[in-house]
Amino acid sequence: MISLGSQGKNTFMEAVNIKSGANVLECYQCGKCVSTCPVSQYMDFPPREIMQMIKLGLRNECYMANSHWFCLTCSACSGRCPREIDIPAVMEAIRHLAIEENYVNDSKKVREIRKFHEIFLEMIKRYGRNYELRMMAEFNIRTRNLFKDVHLAPKALLKGKIPLGVKPLKSAKAIKRMYAMAEKLEKKK
Amino acid sequence: MKKLTYFPGCSAHGTSEEFDSTLKLALKTLDVELEDIPDWNCCGATSAHVMTENLAYALPMRNLVLAEKLENTTMGIACASCYQRMKVTKVHMDENPELAKRINTTVVEEGTYQGTVDVKSMLQYFYEDIGVEPIREKVTKSLAGLKVACYYGCLLTRPKNITKFDSPEYPVSMDQICEALGATATEFDYKTECCGASFSISNTEVVLNLSGQILEMAKESGAHAIVVACPLCQSNLDMRQPDIEKQLGVKYDIPIFYITQLMALAFGYPASQLKFPKHIVPVEGALANIGKIDPEAEKKIKKPIKAVEAESEVE
Repeated sequence: MISLGSQGKNTFMEAVNIKSGANVLECYQCGKCVSTCPVSQYMDFPPREIMQMIKLGLRNECYMANSHWFCLTCSACSGRCPREIDIPAVMEAIRHLAIEENYVNDSKKVREIRKFHEIFLEMIKRYGRNYELRMMAEFNIRTRNLFKDVHLAPKALLKGKIPLGVKPLKSAKAIKRMYAMAEKLEKKK
Repeated sequence: MKKLTYFPGCSAHGTSEEFDSTLKLALKTLDVELEDIPDWNCCGATSAHVMTENLAYALPMRNLVLAEKLENTTMGIACASCYQRMKVTKVHMDENPELAKRINTTVVEEGTYQGTVDVKSMLQYFYEDIGVEPIREKVTKSLAGLKVACYYGCLLTRPKNITKFDSPEYPVSMDQICEALGATATEFDYKTECCGASFSISNTEVVLNLSGQILEMAKESGAHAIVVACPLCQSNLDMRQPDIEKQLGVKYDIPIFYITQLMALAFGYPASQLKFPKHIVPVEGALANIGKIDPEAEKKIKKPIKAVEAESEVE
């Protein structure tokens, strides 16, 4: 549903522009971002279409698309954009707004990508640093995919490529406090 | 003796331990002393900025604040992803003091962010602060005969307004360092294509596809090996290479070196110190080319000439 006409004001685009620091209106739909993007073939809507959808105020459709979850923030698109729009920042703004407003894309791929990031952040909260082996194990358990990458394990472990343990931070408490403070900031907005 | 504040990053104690240890060997020869940031924390990598803005700034800021307490004015970062997060945070904080103040409320004990420390990737440090010529002077064992494709990935040179280093499309800093070591850098068009990065675990299919294209292009350029300066690129191209070969039904056998491994080798360190057994794809085949120079084959390699800002060149 296009909400532009009925409301007279595209509040969605305003929110994205403020959050990303970009001006989506500058996009003239040349599509250079799409041909540059290494993952556009996996996206529900490639970057060019997302830009137009923002202009049309299609809030739900943007939030529910998998595009912003697939964006790798490689910045190839913004480097080649003739309007110099920070497209990865726009993707990030949509993702953050969708998370804040509790929109959940429940497709398997997006669920897995999101789960990975959540586990990674838990590792940092707990140890202050990433614990690679545990992260991989937790990912397999929580996505119910126990044997994923297990074939890599013997070689990687034997060669010491992936260590068994992690040395936690001395000031692990400072990180836990940081998480709490950051959460508080999030709520203040 | 130069001094440099050093941020190793989490993977330096794990998947990229060989990057960390060979970096230290190379810097020993170049007379640079590293000073670790005491009790540094993870930069948050991709996950923090994917999920939340505040944590994505807060985690790097703590490291920046800790680094400011040391005397050095430059921080060198081994991991490309850590470098990017730290640099983005620094640039955004310096541009926006209001934001810096807000984020600083999450870094309670360590102190106030001043913005006095410059952030550089180790590649940038080698290229700008040490220079290609001083590196050339330290070479005792030329790598002549070895052809390498220099792969930079996304994070070392992009986005341009953040990194302000080399070219976002066709960088040459690593090529020039490799040439200084005696190796030949091939003309490789996928220098800054993405390897799939953090999707290594959560979306492996994408990594196999993207990294496969990079391996294919490197092979086509005539390279014996790929050289990288990013732990995630290395592990995607090396650890996933057998899977990629299986999926595509081809055999690449291209080892993935860290630039510091080649530097240490050319500086005369014995191979036994360079952690080659950690590689999944064996390195011996590629290294056997050192010293073998075939003048006919030499003519066939296309060499990179100069940096081009191919901003309009999109396929």
